Amino acid sequence: MCVQHDCSGCVNRRECLKLMSLSAVGASAWSTSVAAASEGPSPTDVVDPAKLRPKPEVRVMASFLEMPRPYWLGWPGTAYDLDARQKEYKELLAQSAQRLGIQVELRQQPINNEGDLTGWINEIKQKKPHAALVILQHFGCWGWASMVAKQSGIPLVIFSPIGMAFTGHVAGPARTPGIYVVSSLDWSAVEDGLRMVRAKRMFEETRVLWIRGNQRNETVLERLGTKVRAIPRDTFNQEFDKQPVTEEVKELAAQLRKQAAKIVEPNEQEALNAMRAYVTAKRLLAQENANALSMDCLGMVGAKLVPTPPCAAWTLLQDQGITAGCEADLWGAMSLMLTSYLLDRPGYMNDPVPETVHNTLIAAHCTSGSRIDGFDKPPAPYILRSHSESNIGVAMQVLWPEGQPVTLVRFTGPNDLIVDTGKVVGNVPTPPAGGCRTSVEIAMDAVEDCRDVQGFHQVVTLGNHFRVLRGFCELYGIKLVRSPRLSTFM
Amino acid sequence: MPKVPIRVLGLAGLIGVPAGLAAMGWSLAACLLAVGWTLAAEPVEFSSPGFPPSRMDPEGRLVEDWGVVAVRLQGEGLTEGSVKVEPGQLDSCIPAARATIDRGHVQMILTAFRSPIFPAGVDVLTVRLEEKAHQPIQVTLALDLPPQVKVGMSTARIDNRMILSVPMETLALLAVRDWGYCNQTAAMPGWAKPEGPADPAFANIRAGMGGIPILYRFRVEPKAQAIVILGICESHYDRPGIRPILCEVEGARPQRVDPIAQWGRHKPGVLVFQARDIDADGQIEIAVRPVPGAADRNPILNVLWVFPPGKTPNLAKLIAGQLSGSAKYYVDVGGQNDQCFYQGGNLQYPIQLPADGVKELTFLVACPGGSAPVPETTTWTPETLRQAARQVWQAWQK
Repeated sequence: MCVQHDCSGCVNRRECLKLMSLSAVGASAWSTSVAAASEGPSPTDVVDPAKLRPKPEVRVMASFLEMPRPYWLGWPGTAYDLDARQKEYKELLAQSAQRLGIQVELRQQPINNEGDLTGWINEIKQKKPHAALVILQHFGCWGWASMVAKQSGIPLVIFSPIGMAFTGHVAGPARTPGIYVVSSLDWSAVEDGLRMVRAKRMFEETRVLWIRGNQRNETVLERLGTKVRAIPRDTFNQEFDKQPVTEEVKELAAQLRKQAAKIVEPNEQEALNAMRAYVTAKRLLAQENANALSMDCLGMVGAKLVPTPPCAAWTLLQDQGITAGCEADLWGAMSLMLTSYLLDRPGYMNDPVPETVHNTLIAAHCTSGSRIDGFDKPPAPYILRSHSESNIGVAMQVLWPEGQPVTLVRFTGPNDLIVDTGKVVGNVPTPPAGGCRTSVEIAMDAVEDCRDVQGFHQVVTLGNHFRVLRGFCELYGIKLVRSPRLSTFM
Repeated sequence: MPKVPIRVLGLAGLIGVPAGLAAMGWSLAACLLAVGWTLAAEPVEFSSPGFPPSRMDPEGRLVEDWGVVAVRLQGEGLTEGSVKVEPGQLDSCIPAARATIDRGHVQMILTAFRSPIFPAGVDVLTVRLEEKAHQPIQVTLALDLPPQVKVGMSTARIDNRMILSVPMETLALLAVRDWGYCNQTAAMPGWAKPEGPADPAFANIRAGMGGIPILYRFRVEPKAQAIVILGICESHYDRPGIRPILCEVEGARPQRVDPIAQWGRHKPGVLVFQARDIDADGQIEIAVRPVPGAADRNPILNVLWVFPPGKTPNLAKLIAGQLSGSAKYYVDVGGQNDQCFYQGGNLQYPIQLPADGVKELTFLVACPGGSAPVPETTTWTPETLRQAARQVWQAWQK
């Protein structure tokens, strides 16, 4: 039977035999899909993943705010060299804009009176940039900064170099939704603010495919502005069945195996199928004009609609900045998207397990990105494994660096974000453990009892990004929630 | 909370409608009226991609899976007139229904479309009132709902489903009083048990059940300063850390307080704020919010005083109730001396239309399978709801 089963290599011999013994439902699905294979894409059709990541227009209007010169007493003081500092900040701003690929319109002359301020606010209202940036040059300018925020109605980044504020100046605006305050000499925090604006624009320009159920519709998420296009789950397995083993598939499968630190379960054919899933996903994203996806993968595996879970395919997508979420958990996918768009690195959504002997959290799933230090950095080592729960297909056990800080983030809706931090203390092997392949043990910061860690499918990402995430929440009015510092079990 | 300035324009203008929307929307709608809208004797259906439709019936009422909502206009000199219902498109892509109702002095135009907000969408009903007799007129706009609907200041519910809500942008267009609460929170007279000498208002509270902030506004001279004092007495919990609250007063540094930790159970306490009308709109805003992540996220407030700027009153005397009479505003929050900032009743709005004036109010109505957003917590505005519909329909048609 297998000799006669000509499906362009969509399954291997073992799978073919397995398929032939499937239930009637599964078998009929396969016979249909085999017939459909001839209608599949051309072997030379290659979707460039870089084109799937949104590249929105981002416009920011900026100005220095200062008091009429010359200065005499009052911070920053007469000794403060306004021209030198403004020259320095102008250069830094131009460099940041170039690095981030955003447009910054800096007002040529600093604003030093209320009339000019009103004029600039009116200009903002007319031009409708995505955010404004003010660089304070006197501690008497805070009221003007608040006026910009209130009257323009757009997100505002306030840069207050040291010498422009006391705690009383910062406290109010820093707690006002829509404002991100940097009171520091560290320019990188201002660039982080601009990165937040870019990330928000990327959310707005993203269409996420929600592959589940049997409905086809489209909605928009509150606050983030992301479009959610629901498509029937069967779309994916039908497209997968049409996907031949192209040169692209072969090359990717070979790379996947070659770059692995070790291969445990998967054979070559399974690697080919995993990469067929990857190419299928890219093609589907391009067809639907979408930039991210979240799929009911477990349901598909349970129903035996595909020969491989998409774990390895999702890892590849994530490494290229394309959000690919598991189990059709939409807010899990949005959390993945946050690390991708704001922190420029992938993470993985996890099933959290409290380890009650060491008081740690074990974050487990089968789809970790491998470029965890950043999209432009070398990947972490990985071991090729099967998807643990089904023991089929290909999943990557990504080995996270011990001793390094991590951040856990989870949108529970558009208005709330859980953020916790910790440190990697180990990678848990399976076996002896069960669960999922990438299984990272984390000592939590500022959470007395690991049983109190909030959320499910939180996204683990490398590095301590609390400050940037808090700033993003402040700038866009998202409530930041942390797990309880003190035990609730006492 | 956004404050939308009231702009009274001429016949060609709008009141309180964002400029972008006005520019793109009704100028286009006017063209569509000429070329794209066709009269319908039948109900007009509208939806968003992939979702079941709602419909506007020949009387101009919205028919949903939970019931029917009708817009009623009352006022001296209004006549009974004809109703024209027609299908059409907004922004050349959004399916919509429109009813034009001639009431003599006033023409009322109802426009409804589906905004595809996650997860099931919401119907956006816009009521446009145009004065036609070149004379100012006072009218009352009311929304009629089925008898089982529980109606509040800005929301209507059937059980736990919010079937209608009034966006803050619409509330901001309504006639207002000098002071009062701006959103729907629970008044709970006698909830607190203040110990020691205490102003009687400490016994009553408003509570923002479900994490809703408690919002008040006071009229002042534009850019004026004031001393705002909030009085709080926690009588439910007996240990700290459960219900901290965040108090924000316009122009002042926000204060986070855990009443039990700061004053103790049943102990009245006050927080002083140096307020300023920072956006020069002649109002000072006060918000008492839950602290994110708190075990109890229902904020409470007992008393509110506003004094002229200058010397802070003696707080012991204030708590004891000896200075309330000298306050510019004294509010027994949730008690006898409390009122809504907006004039009119629940889902009934007195509206003054100037000669040749236009006013446009928006309401959000639950569509089949959906709920209306909570006004205090949603970030959706009439403008962004329409933008969402436009973006989705444009992409869907591709």
